[in-house]
Amino acid sequence: MRELLLAQNLTKKFKSNSALCDLNLTVRESEILCLLGANGAGKTTTINLFLGFLKPTSGKAFVDGLDVCENLNEVRKKLAYVPEQVSLYPSLTGLENLDYFVKLSLNNRLGKAELQNLLDRVGLNKSAANKRVNGYSKGMRQKVGLAISLAKNAQALLLDEPLSGLDPSAANEFTTILRNLADQGTAVLMATHDLFRAREIADRIGIMKSGSLVKDLSPTSVDQSTLEEIYLQQMRDTELV
Amino acid sequence: MNKAIIAKEFTEIVRDGRAIVLFGIVGLLLLLGLVTGFSTESTRSQTVFDAKVADAEVFNAQGAKNPHSAAHFSRMAHKPVAPFSAFDPGVSAYVGQVVWLEGHYRNPAMFRAAEDATELGRLENFSLAGVLILIIPLLVILLGYGSIAKEREQGTLRQIISSGTSLRSLLLGKFITVFSISFAFLVFTIVLAAVTSLFVFEASSQPFTDLFLRSVSLLFVYGLYTAFVTATTLFISAIVQEAKNSLLILLGLWTVMVVSLPRLSASIAEKVYPSPQSSEFWEAMDVRLSENRLDSSSAEYVAAERAVIERAFGKKLTESEIENLAINARGVRLEVSEVIDSEIYTAAYAELFKNYANQKNFRRLLSIFSPTIALQHLSQAFSGTDVNAHEHFSNEAERQRNKIVRVLNEELIINDSGENLRYLAPPEFWETVPEFEYEYPALKIAWRQSGADFFIVFAWALFSIVAMFWLGKGRLEV
Repeated sequence: MRELLLAQNLTKKFKSNSALCDLNLTVRESEILCLLGANGAGKTTTINLFLGFLKPTSGKAFVDGLDVCENLNEVRKKLAYVPEQVSLYPSLTGLENLDYFVKLSLNNRLGKAELQNLLDRVGLNKSAANKRVNGYSKGMRQKVGLAISLAKNAQALLLDEPLSGLDPSAANEFTTILRNLADQGTAVLMATHDLFRAREIADRIGIMKSGSLVKDLSPTSVDQSTLEEIYLQQMRDTELV
Repeated sequence: MNKAIIAKEFTEIVRDGRAIVLFGIVGLLLLLGLVTGFSTESTRSQTVFDAKVADAEVFNAQGAKNPHSAAHFSRMAHKPVAPFSAFDPGVSAYVGQVVWLEGHYRNPAMFRAAEDATELGRLENFSLAGVLILIIPLLVILLGYGSIAKEREQGTLRQIISSGTSLRSLLLGKFITVFSISFAFLVFTIVLAAVTSLFVFEASSQPFTDLFLRSVSLLFVYGLYTAFVTATTLFISAIVQEAKNSLLILLGLWTVMVVSLPRLSASIAEKVYPSPQSSEFWEAMDVRLSENRLDSSSAEYVAAERAVIERAFGKKLTESEIENLAINARGVRLEVSEVIDSEIYTAAYAELFKNYANQKNFRRLLSIFSPTIALQHLSQAFSGTDVNAHEHFSNEAERQRNKIVRVLNEELIINDSGENLRYLAPPEFWETVPEFEYEYPALKIAWRQSGADFFIVFAWALFSIVAMFWLGKGRLEV
């Protein structure tokens, strides 16, 4: 299977602080890799490097074989991104926000019915879609964010703690959509603190610590409590350090 | 892609209330500028028209009178209202509106509105051009300060960039939105000023094509200036992290470049090239006139005398013919003195206007720090209200003075003899004295004189747009 996301000895330093040290990871098509780790472990930095928001100090990030630094525009066309806090324009409706970002992503417009269909897929009904975003809950915003990503039909999806703040039902819907996307060939890299959801949907679970990938586990090889134990052990080690 | 950005920007501006607040305030100020500008200029236009009619009536009705007495009484040269003075009165209030075309003297223009103004009359300076120059940058700043900084703050910038949209496209979309709104205000104001000029100033009606070309020229240079302000606003918004900092920096720049520097530059220019006091000017003029007076026995004087006589009779004359002519010798001397003095006046006034030109050049030098100064020059030039336009009027008035005095002196030379001034011209003679029909210099002359100012505004606009797009070439962290 194609390696859609590849990090080779990826290092990022902010002045003297190392946010990422020689990170090597791969996400293949139809695969979901969940990155776990404490705050500051390097999860968001990894996503930002793949998106080209940051430039690596050393090493390289590739998307579908393209070096991110050298092919930024091409790379961004292949990626979709859902941040922890999906930012939308408060004076526009959910549908209008989606319409805007779709036009930017695809350089093309979708019909109203197609847009509503995307919002239906992520569980945002018509009445909510036609309300201005300034009255939206975080879950509703995340759904619009996910709809934007769906519309792009990207080869790889990067999610930065998209489940935080979502109620269990919304989180469940969200993960179901991610699984479906992966099954259709999308490579998913998701940074999260939610061990339960990670184990539920991931094909691989990576645990990051101090900018390095310290564990690369298969969810089938560990049960929930073992995963928790491994994770907490790593976190304790971090605190001791 | 740009269409989507522009449409979204417009929707946001309308929905978040900025449209009502900004358009309400700016519209009100422009309306106030329009009303004060037109009430002042239409009154002035009517006054000029009435004064011109009254002056002609009084001159033509003076009955039998000695032409030399009439030369002291003489006529007035009234400056008609400039083509776009209701839009930009320029130096009109400070340079006088009427020149007394008196024999022997080249008088300066009198009746300066600024001298007559009361404290409240200062509101008259509230011109449309003044409002545009102050308010359009503010409008642009308020529309654009958060363009990129706010997107960065609220996180939408990352979302946009991750969608594959380049920062350059985003900047272009925002630029088009902010520029087109501000430009719409410019079009509205300038077109309204042109249309009102056509219908209000009947007393000094301007040809339609002239007004049209002046409107296009004004729109062009104000448009360039707006492009400069828009690009600078987006540049600052893109390089700072927070929208409030962008607003503070831009308001600081506005205070320095739009409000303070243009005023300061005028004061500094006056210090560097001080305008002479009226008394000093006339004392120096007296010295100059007496120093350059020709000896009546000199060959130069004799040649001048001969030229005056031949011109009066409209043909070449031999020595003996001149000797046999029954002419008024005093009239000849008066005309010779007019011819000689006129050259001295011309040189002295040219120096005076050269001083004003030096002041203008100095201000132009300071427009390296603010294109507002160069824009003020262009706005006044295309409105026909700059110092160059006044110099043109002053010179034309002097030409008319020479013409009138010559007609009066020749009437005396031909119709009287000896040394006396007893001849009385008949009542119908006065109507043969030519009227002063003044036409403002053509627009192409204003363009020719404004090349440097145009280059400065153009260079500022180009530089700021290039800088903005240079930033958009992936030089910013999102």
